[in-house]
Amino acid sequence: MPLMTYLDAINSALREEMARDERIFMIGEDVGLMGGVFKATKGLQEQFGIDRVIDSPLAEGAIVSSSIGAALAGMRPVAEIQFADFITPAMDAITEQAARLRYRSAGTQTCPITVRVCYGGGVGGGLYHSQTNTTWFIHTPGLIVVAPSSPYDAKGLLKAAIRDDNPILFFEHKKLYRSIKEEVPADDYIVPLLKAAIKRKGADITAISYGYTLQLTLQAAERMHVEQGVEVEVIDLRTLSPLDSETFLESVSRTNRVVVVYEDNRTLGIGAEISAIIVEEAFDCLDAPIVRVAPPDIPAIPAAPPLEAFYMPSVEKIVAALKRTLEY
Amino acid sequence: MTDNERSRFSHREMLLTDDPREANAAKSGAALDDSILRRLYSYMLKCRTVEERIRILFRQSRFSGNYFSAVGQEATEVGTTVDLLPEDTIAPSHRNFVTHIMKGTPLKLMFANLFMRRTSPDQGRCAPAHLGSAPLNVITPASTVAAQFAIGVGVALAYQLQKRSNVVVALSGEGSTSLGSWHEAINFAGVRRLPIVAVVENNLWAESVPARLQSAVEGFSLKAQGYGIPGITVDGNDVIAVYRAAREAIARARGGNGPTLIECKTYRWYGHSEIDPAKYRSVEELEHWKARDPIVATERKMNERGIWSEAWKQEQLVRFNVEIDEAIEFAEKSPYPEPEDALDHVFSFSIRERELNRKMWSPQLLQKVG
Repeated sequence: MPLMTYLDAINSALREEMARDERIFMIGEDVGLMGGVFKATKGLQEQFGIDRVIDSPLAEGAIVSSSIGAALAGMRPVAEIQFADFITPAMDAITEQAARLRYRSAGTQTCPITVRVCYGGGVGGGLYHSQTNTTWFIHTPGLIVVAPSSPYDAKGLLKAAIRDDNPILFFEHKKLYRSIKEEVPADDYIVPLLKAAIKRKGADITAISYGYTLQLTLQAAERMHVEQGVEVEVIDLRTLSPLDSETFLESVSRTNRVVVVYEDNRTLGIGAEISAIIVEEAFDCLDAPIVRVAPPDIPAIPAAPPLEAFYMPSVEKIVAALKRTLEY
Repeated sequence: MTDNERSRFSHREMLLTDDPREANAAKSGAALDDSILRRLYSYMLKCRTVEERIRILFRQSRFSGNYFSAVGQEATEVGTTVDLLPEDTIAPSHRNFVTHIMKGTPLKLMFANLFMRRTSPDQGRCAPAHLGSAPLNVITPASTVAAQFAIGVGVALAYQLQKRSNVVVALSGEGSTSLGSWHEAINFAGVRRLPIVAVVENNLWAESVPARLQSAVEGFSLKAQGYGIPGITVDGNDVIAVYRAAREAIARARGGNGPTLIECKTYRWYGHSEIDPAKYRSVEELEHWKARDPIVATERKMNERGIWSEAWKQEQLVRFNVEIDEAIEFAEKSPYPEPEDALDHVFSFSIRERELNRKMWSPQLLQKVG
């Protein structure tokens, strides 16, 4: 199996799916001629032509609305939002149209669209190129929200998303794009949606995360193993909504301790929901309070390195939270 | 200027700026076929009859929610949609409920929507008049009023990519043109020369806000210039003028020559909704427009040609009313959805089990629950 970056995996999934199904087209800013600002769509317009990889005007609302309409008429659009921070003009289209079309029409009108969203901090992008706003969409039933943490999952989940009949927000972390390589099959495979994965087995404590912070959590788990002899079970949510609570509840019923790590703001972030589910459905399994490792509630990720570092979850912060929970 | 003067001034301004009839007369050209005129008239009459009955039903509390009638605007709704093929798409606003009649949705399904019954295509989910149709290609309208247009542009994109000769006709009020999403959508339609006709029904009022507070341009069709597409303003109460403009625009779209913006100057006789007494408008303004009733105007034209009679009209009204009575009976006898049906059609898979039977993991909770 070839070694691929996360970016290679995305590109490979798009290329394979477009070759497989003529109804699939891409639409977004700079996705065609330029191949995307991160090169996720590199070479696709060359291979598939200007009508299947459409350079849109600078208008996120039109990108998503057009995708919804095209899907309604039988296409399988894959839209790109260049930075998650730019998604707000498309909020009506995503939350009030795409998420509700099936519901409003009692299942008769649907929009199988995949909206790829580049998100996340840790790259010095500042206020408008760093945001993690997954929670906005988790809070909108009708959308499936996916956020892969590795190249293997990125390819398999993106292929599954494109083939799925529901509107999907597919969050790709920009810091993951080139930072890790992994063996990824060069041919067709699917990673199922709606299923979390146990990325590291452990009996002492459960750490739940997704996306870039999942990689940090794995590093923290390794350090706990080496330095403390503690075995951390690491759960990768992969699909953030609807949430696969079964996987983490089963884990908690064995480890009895939980830390949730995420990059969205702390308040009402996914850690809040996971904590509520655990308390409601597995209260007696807990030996310690649930701890969230999440950014503070500030409006955006500030640009200066020390400020950004203060904001972002880190291996050190996760290790500290794991220790605190274990020592309770 | 006193308040009184200001109100008279604004009233006068409205009357002066919405009189394009003379301009249209020159464009009318050869006389329209009798059979087409009969069709246009019959559809307008049916739309009016249905909507007036719906208004009575609402006042009788036979259905709840609200209703948004387009009585007075029939020429615009009928003239722009009468020529569409079954495979063409209509993107209506919630004021265009009667476009379902134009597309062929049975009245009983429309009334089931109003009564929020399980037999409605939306199974009681949407508020009255916010109904779409999958088999007849009517986009489900949202109350965020430019949304249908923006989605309609996407349908037009699919038609273009699929190399089909179908078109989209989108209807929305002049208020919708103030939204950013409207501009994003029409810009994209212009750039790609998509097969869509944007019908802006300028009925002078977006709820209580007059058109002059909506836009600094006097004719909404001027906006087309900014997007490199043709724009035309027609008398929206002259069904022949509307029909001709729409026919030309639809042909242009079908032929791969891109979108058109048609502004139809018209007027809604009643409030924004059935709970809006519309006290912000003057009686004179209303009377001025009621005197230009599109249906009466068409009767006059048909009478001149000798193709209209009161008896023929009454014959049709009887037929429409029988159909309406049957539709009301069907709707009222239809059951409401079951409460838990609210959980259906969220995704392509069911969430009932997940929502209704949550699994408990705590040993003690397991005992208590179950």
